[in-house]
Amino acid sequence: MKVVVQLFGPLAEQAGRPRLEVTVAGSTVRDVVEATGLQVDKSVRYARNTDYVDLDAGLQEGDVVSLIPPVGGG
Amino acid sequence: MFKVTTEPLSIDEAYAAVRRDDCGAVALFVGTVRDHHDGKKVTQISYSAFQEMAVKEFAAIATEAIARWKVGAVYIAHRTGPLKIGDASVVIAVSSAHRAEAFEGCRYAIETLKKMAPIWKEEFYETGKAWISG
Repeated sequence: MKVVVQLFGPLAEQAGRPRLEVTVAGSTVRDVVEATGLQVDKSVRYARNTDYVDLDAGLQEGDVVSLIPPVGGG
Repeated sequence: MFKVTTEPLSIDEAYAAVRRDDCGAVALFVGTVRDHHDGKKVTQISYSAFQEMAVKEFAAIATEAIARWKVGAVYIAHRTGPLKIGDASVVIAVSSAHRAEAFEGCRYAIETLKKMAPIWKEEFYETGKAWISG
């Protein structure tokens, strides 16, 4: 399935864009992250739509995956 | 009560949003842009956010503060875009019947926002820039 991936902060800068689309055979967040080809370390968290999830979380058609690098609000 | 905006933040709006007749205390926290970081002079800051998720996190923070400390109301606003030194980047207001709960709830709100809200800070120096977390 096709999945939209949102990138933020330093990850968007690294990728040179805030959004990309990948096609994956699997259906977990991990499959999507691997398909982006981005260098992602352990400090990065993940969201499915607007909820934090772990790498094993399952995805359905239409879900948006966001890569959340270390946050700095406040 | 919860927003991420490029517009300047209003302390009056925060206060008005949480003040209630059954609450005798309002705690207000304002985060402002500081002119230095690790010995370097900061010239400007830019915040970006995953807006929809950040607002949802703010609402979750408020729900938890209300459940844990029985506070009356919670207001959380964060600004995004380029900010100047001294600008308010975040405004939190918490009302409660008595002051202890307002202070506790407000402290919880800013500490949790800093850990959980999908917001990013880019600091600009006289030479160079850096993404700042934590």
